[in-house]
Amino acid sequence: MNLSGYKISRYKTPFIFTVTLIILIYLSADATEVSLSEFLDGWSHGSRLLLEFFPPDWSKIGRMLHASLLTIAMALIATPMGALISFLFGLAAAKNISYPGLREVARVVISLERALPEIVILLFLAAALGLGLYPGILALAIGSIGMLGRLLADAIEEIDEKAIESVETVGATRSQIIRYSIIPEVLPSFVANSIFRFEINIRNSVLLGAVGVGGIGYELNESISLMDYEASTMAIIMIISLVFVAERISDTIRKKVSKTGEVM
Amino acid sequence: MISVENITKVLPSGKVLLDGISFKVKKGEFLGILGASGAGKSLTLRCMVGLIKPTDGQIIYSKELDDDDNPINICELKGKKLRNARKHLGVIFQGNNLVKRLTALENVMIGRLGQISPLRTWIYGFTDAEAEEAYEALKQVKMEDYSNRRVGSLSGGEQQRVAIARAIFQNPSVYLADEPVSSLDPKNAKKILKLLAPLAENKPVIGVFHQPHLVSEFCTRVIAVKDGSVVYDGDPKLSEEQLEMIYADELSSIQKEAEKMSLIKKSKKK
Ligand SMILES: Nc1ncnc2c1ncn2[C@@H]1O[C@H](COP(=O)(O)OP(=O)(O)OP(=O)(O)O)[C@@H](O)[C@H]1O
Ligand SMILES: [Mg+2]
Repeated sequence: MNLSGYKISRYKTPFIFTVTLIILIYLSADATEVSLSEFLDGWSHGSRLLLEFFPPDWSKIGRMLHASLLTIAMALIATPMGALISFLFGLAAAKNISYPGLREVARVVISLERALPEIVILLFLAAALGLGLYPGILALAIGSIGMLGRLLADAIEEIDEKAIESVETVGATRSQIIRYSIIPEVLPSFVANSIFRFEINIRNSVLLGAVGVGGIGYELNESISLMDYEASTMAIIMIISLVFVAERISDTIRKKVSKTGEVM
Repeated sequence: MISVENITKVLPSGKVLLDGISFKVKKGEFLGILGASGAGKSLTLRCMVGLIKPTDGQIIYSKELDDDDNPINICELKGKKLRNARKHLGVIFQGNNLVKRLTALENVMIGRLGQISPLRTWIYGFTDAEAEEAYEALKQVKMEDYSNRRVGSLSGGEQQRVAIARAIFQNPSVYLADEPVSSLDPKNAKKILKLLAPLAENKPVIGVFHQPHLVSEFCTRVIAVKDGSVVYDGDPKLSEEQLEMIYADELSSIQKEAEKMSLIKKSKKK
């Protein structure tokens, strides 16, 4: 066996990548006429501005906590709602249990939703309902269809045909097949995905908040427009902790679910 | 009586999979079906459950599948009528025929899904009395200690016994089993047949097997399928010549395989 060829080629990719990157940076700096001195100038201006963000304004903590709770509440209500809607779309989009026409419609809705950012959905809803918590929650819920519906439909289509057939051969109806074959097989992964979606919805909830729905995102946006940068820092600290904690919790629960798979 | 009459299955490409299968099964019979791999045994059983529509021919259940004992041709049923007929068919298919994430007991209860309303399925499922009965069915196959185990964690033989308990609990008029013992060791295979044989005293049992010695020991009659036709129908004790005829192609292909292997070995030695 001769490994020398492999040993060289192993370093080739990162090497080529680094060299290309350096060349690209050089070329783009040249093209946009960024000179090193200007770059440093901008940097010092930025760092002076940065100083105004410190120290964080701890007196605002009560208000920020309250706003964070609102953000969490939005995600908490929207996620189960979204999961429920996604479940129906997922069922309708699965080839092996749905009806041909219905399946096409459900697939189109799912793909469309996946292409739309939550902000866009919110703006549509705001046009009809105005800005506020309710359209915010609705936007988050609808925003889950693309991801959860698609994952569920794929999971259902991967179920062994025989597991469905075996329930079919005792004379079960389609809805009975769903209840006793489809749901038990896909529920653990669906629950895990929904919890993951909750984590994403927390972040989206912050984002929609900034647009005007309310919550911690709104506080951040407000403080920046009022140039109360120390309060902004407080909001940012809250957001980071929020996202971090949500991630930890979701990780822990998901590990539990996938380990036992015993959700029913 | 069940009467399979001249079943054919032809693919759009013109390939003939089943070429006029005919046989009859009466009450009290345990019919064994033998045949080489690809002969058309599973296809025949799937036609008998209405999972596949044959190109031609019919399968008449004289009164087994009808609530009012009328004759039924399962090949022409669809939708609700087909579901009603299937309530009376106890199907035991090889492997993967259970819902892996449900417990043994829940899988047994699935046997009666066709007999309860969909609405009830969603509201509360099965009653305590039905659960007791399902537990009794598990007892019959000596699996009661596993009633709360998820089926996915059971061994192949244990799963096979749960599948039989499901069919027993369903209380069908006919049992159809496709290779119920193929993944089992000889001792467990025999155990399963000892469970199936007594069922045949009251309801016809039709089973596909790959073990002629088990068939001759337990079945009351045997048919052999070859290239989509029945080539033997009669006594379960088959002679060497008859077996050779049934499995001829398979044996010769195994021989060819063995020859190839020995050639490879020889060339390696060089
Ligand atoms: N859906 C299908 N489309 C095309 N050909 C099929 C289909 N189902 C079965 N066949 C073919 O029909 C023939 C008979 O298949 P069948 O499953 O009945 O065999 P079998 O006798 O049960 O064999 P085994 O003992 O291996 O289970 C095979 O050649 C198989 O490839
Ligand atoms: Mg087969």
